[in-house]
Amino acid sequence: MSGMMRRLFGVELRDELRAIVREPTSLFFGILMPVGLFVLFNLLYGKDTTQGLSAGTAMVATFGTYGVITVAALQPGIGVAQDRDLGWLRMKRVSAVPIGISLTAKATAALLYGVGVLLLMGAGAAAFGTLHASGWALLRVALVLLLGSVPFTLFSVAVGFRFRTGAAIALLNAVLFPLAMLSGLWIPIQFLPSVVQKIAKFLPTYHLAQLGLAQLGHGTTVIHVLALVLTTVVAAGVAAMSYRHARI
Amino acid sequence: MGTTQAVLTVEGLRHRYGETVALDGVDLRVDPGECVALLGPNGAGKSTLVALAVGLLVPQHGTVRILGGDPRRAATRRRLGVAQQTLGFPNTLTVNELVTGAAVRGGRRPAAAGPILAELGLTDLAPRRVPKLSGGQKQRVQLAMALVTEPDLLILDEPTVGLDTMARRHFWQILARRRAQGTAVLVTTHLIEESAAVADRVVVLDRGRILADAPPQELVSRLPDRTVTARTGMDQAELERLPDVLSVRHEHDLVKIQTRSPEDLLRVLLDRDPALSELRVQDAGLEEAVVALTAGEEMAA
Repeated sequence: MSGMMRRLFGVELRDELRAIVREPTSLFFGILMPVGLFVLFNLLYGKDTTQGLSAGTAMVATFGTYGVITVAALQPGIGVAQDRDLGWLRMKRVSAVPIGISLTAKATAALLYGVGVLLLMGAGAAAFGTLHASGWALLRVALVLLLGSVPFTLFSVAVGFRFRTGAAIALLNAVLFPLAMLSGLWIPIQFLPSVVQKIAKFLPTYHLAQLGLAQLGHGTTVIHVLALVLTTVVAAGVAAMSYRHARI
Repeated sequence: MGTTQAVLTVEGLRHRYGETVALDGVDLRVDPGECVALLGPNGAGKSTLVALAVGLLVPQHGTVRILGGDPRRAATRRRLGVAQQTLGFPNTLTVNELVTGAAVRGGRRPAAAGPILAELGLTDLAPRRVPKLSGGQKQRVQLAMALVTEPDLLILDEPTVGLDTMARRHFWQILARRRAQGTAVLVTTHLIEESAAVADRVVVLDRGRILADAPPQELVSRLPDRTVTARTGMDQAELERLPDVLSVRHEHDLVKIQTRSPEDLLRVLLDRDPALSELRVQDAGLEEAVVALTAGEEMAA
């Protein structure tokens, strides 16, 4: 990356980080709500143990998935839709900011907030005394979740290029909530009806959460990695198509 | 003029959207320090011409060059300052952040924002976010964002809409300073009389073609109509029978007579009414000249 590109990325990233922290609704839905839910469930069920794993620790993977996905799936797409509606993306094109830089900045901002959400959850679990995992395992969970959020960011951007702001917000939330519910991100998957467990096998969020849990010594890896790679390929294709037909 | 490099050169530009012809062979040249006003009714092709000049569209036929460079290239576009009336701002950024961001995007240091904010009277507003600004203040923020990169060519879309008279004067003074340093200005506007006052050249665009490209005074003098104003005791019917009178109307206690040969009219007028006073002969305005141009085109079409 040349000096000019680095400076452009810097200014874009700075604007995107401000867009989250200064916008009350994204702050609430993107950060406070996932962390709040995590704290609530941790206080209620954190001391329980399932399959030899403390529930409070498992929640770092499941609610962590929910938290990271929320920022990754909502923020970049809503941002793209807003920028298009304002003519802001057009302004950036005129001022010779490559679209790749703008999008990477949006994705990076979401990723950084994802890191923040995970740190808050980890700190919460530790404070409640329900965090029973090595630092290395927790770091692996974080890396898996952040890497696994990429297809959700791509999908989000695809929606942002296709729909106006209001429609993008509604659509992304309408997809996010059932995904969280049916993938066992709020209630552990083994407590959900068997029909839901069957549906979950087809949801990328389920595979991401399971991959997170696997880092804590709970289950297999390969099948979830394959599912997520497939999701990423599909999401990248959808995003590319949506961008090509977008009006900027 | 022949030796200096043109800032903007447009040659043989044709552009269509499906069946609709937006530009039908446009040639245009803007030199350093020049201010060119682009006039024309809605749908004349102004937006298409601007979109091509700023590199948002690929020319279908013809060429656009900015200081010899293709506006599709990033390096060329960084020499542009653009203010578009339709641009909205993100609510999450302050005035200072917007102008600083524009400086960096244009390849300048963030510190370049300070003097521009001061020049445009935005220093006190710098920490405020956009939703708290008035329409005129937003307009000034746009201009600050366009000026902060020290562009060679400013492209301004209806820049003074929403500004009061004082702000408007201040705006043109700021532009005059830039022009003295060689910045060229292309301004699209509906305010014909305003462009007559500030532009070196007026380009009238209609149905994708340039009907006129000349200094405003020359456009006006091309139109042969003159207005003779006077205070007279003669009545309407008598005035209308005078030689070469096109129209007569009363304004307060004065009468305004439209004619194409004021000399003949005046001889008769002074002869018939010895008590005639407050006599004045005026050119038609630029507005009448532009209307006559576009109306003539409509009749030909």
